[in-house]
Amino acid sequence: MSRLYGDPIEVWVRDGQPAQFVWRDRLYTVREIQDHWVVAREWWKTTDADPGERRFWRVEAATGKEIGTYEVRFDTAGDGWLLLRAWD
Amino acid sequence: MTPFMAESMAAFAHLHTASAYSLRYGTAFPGVLVRRAAEHGMDRLALTDRDGLYGAIKHVQACHDEGIAPIVGVDLALQGDETRIVVLARSDGWAALCRLVTAAHHAGERGEPYVTPGMVAEHASGPGGLVVMLGPRSGVGRAIAERRDDQARALLTAWRSVVPDLVVELVDHYGYRDTNNATRMLALADSLGVPAVLTNAVRYLDAADHQIGNVLDAARKLVPLHARHIEQPTAHAYLKDGREMALVAARICGGDPDRAGRLLAETRRVADDCVLDPVEIVPLLDPERPKLHLPEIGEDPVPLLRHRCEDGLIDRGMARSDDARRRLADELRVIENKRLSGYFIAVAGITDMIRSMGVRCAIRGSGAGSLVNYLIGVGEVNPLEHGLLMERFLSEGRRGLPDIDVDVESARRLDCYRAILGRYGEARVACVSMMETYRARSALRDVGAAMGLPPHEIDVIAKAFPHVRAKQIRAALSDLPELRDSGLNDRSLQTVFRLAERLDGLPRHIALHPCGVLIGNSTLRDRTPVERSLLDFPMSQFDKDDVEEAGLLKLDVLGVRMQSALAYSIKEIERVDHEKIDLDAVPHDDEATYDLIRASRTLGCFQIESPGQRELVAKLEPRTMHDLIVDISLFRPGPVNSDMVTPYLEARHGFREPRYPHEKLRDALRETYGVVVFHEQVLKIIDVMTECGLSDAEKARRTLGTPEGREIVRSWFVPLARRNGFAGATVENAWKVLDAFGGFGFCKAHAAAFALPTYQSAWLKRHHAAAFFAGVLTHEPGMYPNRVILDEARQCGVDILPLDVNRSGTDWLVERTGPAAAAAPAAGQSPPGGLRIEEMGRGYGLRVPFSAVRGVSQAEVSRMVAGQPYTSMADFWDRARPSRPVAERIVEVGGLDAVYGLRPGEPRWRPGKLTRRDLIAQVGALDRASGVVGSSEAAVQLPMGFTESVTPGELPEMTEAEAVEAELSILGMDVSRHVVHFHDDLLDAIGVIRSKDLLKQRNGAEILVAGVKVATQTPAVRSGQRVIFATLDDSTGPIDLTFFESVQAHTAATVFGSWLLVARGVVRRTGGRAISLRAVHCWNLVDLDRVWRAPGGGIDAVRAILDEVPVPGAGVGGRPIQYGNGFQLSPYSDIGPPRDDHRRLWHASSGSSGPTTGR
Repeated sequence: MSRLYGDPIEVWVRDGQPAQFVWRDRLYTVREIQDHWVVAREWWKTTDADPGERRFWRVEAATGKEIGTYEVRFDTAGDGWLLLRAWD
Repeated sequence: MTPFMAESMAAFAHLHTASAYSLRYGTAFPGVLVRRAAEHGMDRLALTDRDGLYGAIKHVQACHDEGIAPIVGVDLALQGDETRIVVLARSDGWAALCRLVTAAHHAGERGEPYVTPGMVAEHASGPGGLVVMLGPRSGVGRAIAERRDDQARALLTAWRSVVPDLVVELVDHYGYRDTNNATRMLALADSLGVPAVLTNAVRYLDAADHQIGNVLDAARKLVPLHARHIEQPTAHAYLKDGREMALVAARICGGDPDRAGRLLAETRRVADDCVLDPVEIVPLLDPERPKLHLPEIGEDPVPLLRHRCEDGLIDRGMARSDDARRRLADELRVIENKRLSGYFIAVAGITDMIRSMGVRCAIRGSGAGSLVNYLIGVGEVNPLEHGLLMERFLSEGRRGLPDIDVDVESARRLDCYRAILGRYGEARVACVSMMETYRARSALRDVGAAMGLPPHEIDVIAKAFPHVRAKQIRAALSDLPELRDSGLNDRSLQTVFRLAERLDGLPRHIALHPCGVLIGNSTLRDRTPVERSLLDFPMSQFDKDDVEEAGLLKLDVLGVRMQSALAYSIKEIERVDHEKIDLDAVPHDDEATYDLIRASRTLGCFQIESPGQRELVAKLEPRTMHDLIVDISLFRPGPVNSDMVTPYLEARHGFREPRYPHEKLRDALRETYGVVVFHEQVLKIIDVMTECGLSDAEKARRTLGTPEGREIVRSWFVPLARRNGFAGATVENAWKVLDAFGGFGFCKAHAAAFALPTYQSAWLKRHHAAAFFAGVLTHEPGMYPNRVILDEARQCGVDILPLDVNRSGTDWLVERTGPAAAAAPAAGQSPPGGLRIEEMGRGYGLRVPFSAVRGVSQAEVSRMVAGQPYTSMADFWDRARPSRPVAERIVEVGGLDAVYGLRPGEPRWRPGKLTRRDLIAQVGALDRASGVVGSSEAAVQLPMGFTESVTPGELPEMTEAEAVEAELSILGMDVSRHVVHFHDDLLDAIGVIRSKDLLKQRNGAEILVAGVKVATQTPAVRSGQRVIFATLDDSTGPIDLTFFESVQAHTAATVFGSWLLVARGVVRRTGGRAISLRAVHCWNLVDLDRVWRAPGGGIDAVRAILDEVPVPGAGVGGRPIQYGNGFQLSPYSDIGPPRDDHRRLWHASSGSSGPTTGR
């Protein structure tokens, strides 16, 4: 079962993909990208000319010996990362 | 980077690309997509538009230009569900693809074509193959996305068993689960041994275009924007480069480089199989010997055409003319060299057939310059007589095919189409189509709806704009005073405007071209897909340019309303006066007709009724057919632009000597006093000065159309003319004329063809005024609404007879009302100024027809006419069976006045006397009675006493004002009285000058005028301003007002937004009988009237308003369009022909704004 979070996180990017992130004071290293997709924002609901898109990654990541699956999101307009879900 | 990626980068080929020709779906035109592909280093590109090959020819041309091998396919819907497949033509499969698209349109409803697997299988297995691609939108793809893998397998197996060349198409737009679905599609394809290819299902040029795609999705589905109506939730459906596509391949193949490499290689293999030969599809890409697809004649057309021309020489009495023989030999040499003999035979066959149907038919345009056309009876204009040149029509140097245009009666145009189809068969003939594209108003409507604005608000916003391009929306808002102050320029609408601008020029639907007919041979449907038009004609998916490029021949059969009006007038003269008139045999030198034209009483006449033309004919004072030809040619942007009008008029009236740039040019320019008016003269100038021959001269003339072209011609013309011994100054002068002439100007052959109906219509107006107006009112050929024509008829002494259920017909009928005026004096005997306008129509009346009643159906009109005469309201109700609103409207405008002896007006209360209102009440009773019994059959059996019983005088009679108001709203015209008469008291009180007294005003006087607005135009003028020309009608004649930019800040909104106007203007006398007013200010007459009648108002209050000095405001903005020769044009002037707009009470040209929100 996954749990929903939505916490802001800090992410290191390599080749356009998340490589490491810090969540709740622990460093996670990405071992495998399982899935990646994007969603364009519903731009007609905002007044911005370019509301950007949201980029999602589902990754397998490890912190110490614990391995879990995590969903992280990058928002191009807000220029920030969130941790959305975790299967751990 | 892995090796396979480097190798495949340049070689990737997009097999699934939608252009803007996927209606309300695609966003980029074929040309830019091809250029982008070339920038990506690609050497193949497919175009696979939705539902048709509308953009295919343009794609093949663009690919040829960029050195890319073209691939063409189509994206089609399957019957009965939302799924779609893509079908590509293999290298030999163009004909099969055309036929499949035709079949899809034949199977589906209009605008919703579909195929079945059976249809696809049938076309794919014939000779010349098709490749079928099943992607994410196919049934297989849908099943995969819904995790019904067994169903996907069953579907793919079924397709594989019927289609020999089947591939699975993988797409990953980075949406949620896209990769996963594509991976499972690939696995399915592998397990069944079906090849898989990678595409990007391209819809955008750049990722940023996806917002437009979203708007189009909403517009297409008629829903507001919402995530669930969006086809691509991401912005990735753009034309990616090879490297980006390799990344997609890697995603789908889960990082297996080997499998990704095979996927890309397979894609490449399919692309290679589908490369088409551009010249095969677009023969005109081969400039030397293009392969044309001419109609089959059944025998060798070359001797056939020669024999027909020989016969023609004898029939036309030219057998002994050396000139004619020499000219004929020249023309035949060109025609035979271009292998066009069969075309001329086919066209002659068609015009013969049209005439044998009794339809008026005339040749138009450059085709009139060909002697062959005259000899074989295509046209009736003898080119030798008018000095017309063949080279303007057909020459060695001219690429492409000659255009023959014929005019027929507009009301019979479709009959002509049917006859052509009947003769050649549907397999060989199709109409040409055209794309309606987004302009400001349509773009605002679709974007407004997508953004969820309320419909009435959208309507107000859209109508406020003039007919400009969508990309001018925000510029128009800040440039035009009437929009600047309208409150539209509000921040909340900025997104709507921004998006609407981006829809600029995108095709929205396909329509029947107004005149093009394609005449091919039995292979026509192998060359072009054919769908059905709204009127069920077979219609090619290619537009007129594509058709020509595809090597197909077309004939333009244009419906001309004036020809129908003339035919109708002649019929009425015969019916009423028992006089048979052969209009083509009327002599061309009738003084009385030219008197009418010179007095500028030309409202209703062909080509010379606009305010500008009325001014020009008054100045030019035409006396001969040649004068009319010049007049028509002068009233064009070209001559106005290079200021030819003034020198011509000065030389014509003897104010100065004609000037010729050189003695050798005197011959070419004598007919127009040294001024260049015609294309033919340009050809002669170039030919005389360079000795290059007329054929090359025509080539040079065509090149003059663009600034770069003019440079090219200049660098060739100037040295050559110098070498031929012309002095430097002469050459410089001659060049200036050619340069100014540019691509404008007018073909004399065309003007000669126009001048004939112009003269004929003026002749009819002069000698048979009532019948002429009946024709004009019935067929509405001109720019003015019917109420203006009706008023002109009234001024010409014609009685206007109200609607009468016993006398009205389907169309306008002429009736004798008394003795006619004495016949017009014979030619040459009319005393100067002897024209008495008000006598012209004396003794005749025009009867308002049933068809003029708002909302009446054709069936109702036929029943009303068939049932005449009627004895009572109940009788009319029972036998003509009108709907209740129509019956009420007929009573309201007096249709039963004659039956009951009614008369609107004072006194209102007439005890014991029947009134119109009593009758309207009776209509209600009759309607309820029929309703109660249930069927009309039973209604007849009601006791007559019941329905016949009306209590007379129970309700008051309508006043005259109410009657006129009813006429305006029901018939769209004021029949019993002119609306201005209701304001006579006020107008007299403020001292308004009437049209008939304008000529008594001195030049420069500032006066007040008033009237009903009949037209606003914003034509192209020399200064580059937006000038508004408004015509008012005050019941004594037209008043022409000119609003320059300096006064538009305080007048534009009133001019465009009101119907009854008072204006202050300065008199400008421009010729003997020509007068116009430079407007300084204007007011809405209805507003002034309200002030006048208000308590505490009165005449002083009105005068106070009239004396207010307007606050100076900013004029019209917008940078004028600058032409190479110094000519400037306002971006809001009308260019191109007026659009056939919804008819209303006044004419508004396309540059005029509609009602603004201020009202």
